[in-house]
Amino acid sequence: MRLRNLIFVLGLLPLAGLSGCRKGTAIPEADPLLAAYDSEPDGTDAQKAIPLGYQQAQGKRVFYQYCVWCHADATPAGPSNRSNLTPVPPLLNDGATLNAESDEYMQNIITLGGSAMGKSAMMPPYGRTLSAEEIRSVIAFARTIAQPPYQPPGRPGSQYSAK
Amino acid sequence: MPAEEMGKVTDRLRFVFAVSSLIFLAVLAISPLKDYNREWRQYKRSYLRFAQGRPDTKKLTADYRFSIDQIWLPSMNVVDRCTTCHQGITQASLADKSVPQPFRAHPPIPHNVREWGCTICHRGQGPATEVAEAHESTLAWEQPILPTHFIQASCGTCHQSDLPQTPQLARGRQVLAELNCQGCHKLQGIERPAMLGPDLSSIGTKVTREWIYKWLKEPRTIVDKDGNVTVNGYETKEEPRMPKFRLSEADLQALSAYLSVQNAKPIALYKISPSVVAVWSKNPELISQGELRFRQMFCSTCHSLAVTRAGETKLIGGDLGPELTKIGSKVNPDWLIAWLRDPAAYLPHARMPRYGWSDEDLYKVTQYITTKLVDSDLLANVPKLDPPTDQEVQLGRRLFTEKGCASCHVIEGLNPQKDFGPDLSALGGKNASELEFGTAKIPHNLVSYIQAKLQDPVSVNPAARMPQYSWAPGDLDAVTAALLSMKGAPLTSALQNLVVPRKAAAFHPTGSFAEVYERYKCYACHKFNGYGGDLAPDLSYEGSRAQRQWLIEFLKSPQTLRPNLILRMPQLNMSDKDAATLADYLSMVMQHPAVNPLTTDSKQFTPALATLGKQLYEVKYQCQSCHTIGGSGGYVGPNLNNAGSWLTPAWIAAWLRNPQALVPDTIEPRHNFTEQEVNALTAYLMTLRASSKPQKSAVLPGPRSPAQGAGR
Repeated sequence: MRLRNLIFVLGLLPLAGLSGCRKGTAIPEADPLLAAYDSEPDGTDAQKAIPLGYQQAQGKRVFYQYCVWCHADATPAGPSNRSNLTPVPPLLNDGATLNAESDEYMQNIITLGGSAMGKSAMMPPYGRTLSAEEIRSVIAFARTIAQPPYQPPGRPGSQYSAK
Repeated sequence: MPAEEMGKVTDRLRFVFAVSSLIFLAVLAISPLKDYNREWRQYKRSYLRFAQGRPDTKKLTADYRFSIDQIWLPSMNVVDRCTTCHQGITQASLADKSVPQPFRAHPPIPHNVREWGCTICHRGQGPATEVAEAHESTLAWEQPILPTHFIQASCGTCHQSDLPQTPQLARGRQVLAELNCQGCHKLQGIERPAMLGPDLSSIGTKVTREWIYKWLKEPRTIVDKDGNVTVNGYETKEEPRMPKFRLSEADLQALSAYLSVQNAKPIALYKISPSVVAVWSKNPELISQGELRFRQMFCSTCHSLAVTRAGETKLIGGDLGPELTKIGSKVNPDWLIAWLRDPAAYLPHARMPRYGWSDEDLYKVTQYITTKLVDSDLLANVPKLDPPTDQEVQLGRRLFTEKGCASCHVIEGLNPQKDFGPDLSALGGKNASELEFGTAKIPHNLVSYIQAKLQDPVSVNPAARMPQYSWAPGDLDAVTAALLSMKGAPLTSALQNLVVPRKAAAFHPTGSFAEVYERYKCYACHKFNGYGGDLAPDLSYEGSRAQRQWLIEFLKSPQTLRPNLILRMPQLNMSDKDAATLADYLSMVMQHPAVNPLTTDSKQFTPALATLGKQLYEVKYQCQSCHTIGGSGGYVGPNLNNAGSWLTPAWIAAWLRNPQALVPDTIEPRHNFTEQEVNALTAYLMTLRASSKPQKSAVLPGPRSPAQGAGR
């Protein structure tokens, strides 16, 4: 009888050993805003916030310093200069206009200014003020807040993606 | 068992032996099997499968080894094995959000992941090789990953000076400083300011005991559960500063009694000339005239008022000084007159300038304030308070120190307790086991602890002395990030060398300029060599920018250069002598090294050159999109109507060549003008002169908004 008990115990051991092989705990899906570097209110629904990654957050900072004065309807200092201008500059989140433009085009018009790209000279060149990385970050920010949402072209090489 | 059978190998024994051998073999196999199936090995294998399904397999697997990878930075105490599973971290082609974790590339940041590792920023446990141990808080491994929402805290551990890339952290530090948290707590990288709350040595001469009682019982500025801030019941963006203390009725009675007898340094009262009073007191226009002067002097640049427009009441004006809608029901009218004449006589650290007042203006404005800016119901809920008794005053004096009032407010002859609140300079590095959670039903981690403590100090410790603060939206998280950044002294000298300390800016002028500068508190709004406020333009290079004569005229009668700014330079009623002293000093001392007046020769500015400049301005570069000349143009840059009288030609030329060299964060981009274009534009701008008489503006400013980001 004692022997049988021994075998029984020995037989249990591997099971006990195996139970030690704990499955990896899956990290619970975090709150998207808690997992985001910053956020920006949704243009169509002020209650919603769009999460921003590091690059997009830097784009937001550059936008609110340099671009907001003409590419938004309200600025941190009050009224906007947008209604003053002809042609009227697009809003940064105007997906209907900007989604059709490629990243390269956006990079060029910000860097070289409107007149170099056959558009209004009222858009000044920022290539000697902002770094290429800062300009890329503004484009990434624009793509993220676009309404209707931006769909990246289905080809490799674009470094920006839809949210 | 019989003796003869001993030593005999029976079949039964053989069977037992065989079975136990097999079991032992199985047990022995468990260990390698377990090792073979370790979590990180599973991730290694699945990365290989993942990479084989991508077009750039070769590139993705170039560094692949079936072993633990680690980034080892001995000097910084970093052993990060995170790249064992996060294998695509530096692969640009894996940046897309469709790439499953843990293989996604790290987004581009200023620090190279290979040089810095992961845990310096993300925290968590670098040496761990299991998902739970690396990311979460377990019994043996207590530091969990920092939620990305607070990751700017990690930037702040080394970068104690503010970075443009970390607005949340900068805001948190600003709030910590503004709320005087250093009054009670030791904080890393934030110094105790010279002035905390207002000096209360003579508060008894300013307000009544009833008003003190109400102020202590319920703070004026309240944030509701949706994050809306109201002051006196009106919506505002103003930061609440005075928190709510948990005071019993007896405490309120005692503290109000003690404060109402404070009269150590009374302000000298001023008697307005009886002839002025005689003329104006009967005038039906008195109050409306007072209101007009109040507006014309631009008091609203610093103080807000509730204004009803189109049925909607909101606060309009700045927040450098207190909101004034009901001020007439708060302060003693005699005190008000004396204060307006010379604020520093009552409060040496006051930021309010000493205006040049005529008796007439002083009478009109104080009558307007004490008649119009009142609320008869302000003290409606305050019980009848008798003259203070000695007993109440004694108790109040004790409570003033015990409750922590003395940690922020000075009363002559009273010393605050040293180290009143806990030292928080290493709070950000604490493990959850070092924190007292009490009975609070919150997750046991540092972030939850800090937020619970900030929102309701008694939730984690029923005996907490910390008062109840109310937080504007976003500020709770900002302050949390700032506190998380404070991890105490770095562990290694290499880490110590990485610390970028906060630079303390100072500006110590001397002589007659210093007297005028101090009188008008120029630094409350303007920066001088890095020191001062940021409401108004930085004047560090004003001498290179503006012409002396223009400075004098502007100081005597400020008019805005930026049509879209709401907060304007107040009308200080400056004497000619004071204006000349300021203009002389600014012109002589506040110079930019890159602006040399000798390099521009105004003789070359011919009319032909100016005509070319006008063409460039209007057609080629279309500067009118941002600047106004005449009646038309944009509102982004300053109005250039008077550029020829305002700016120096050397400044204009240097600005056109490279604006950021003069004002680093200015909005105007650096164009690629040729030297001839620079000269032509300068010549044109120098021809622009407006009539010297400014139009007096008495328009009430629009909704309040910060003027930051619009430095000229």
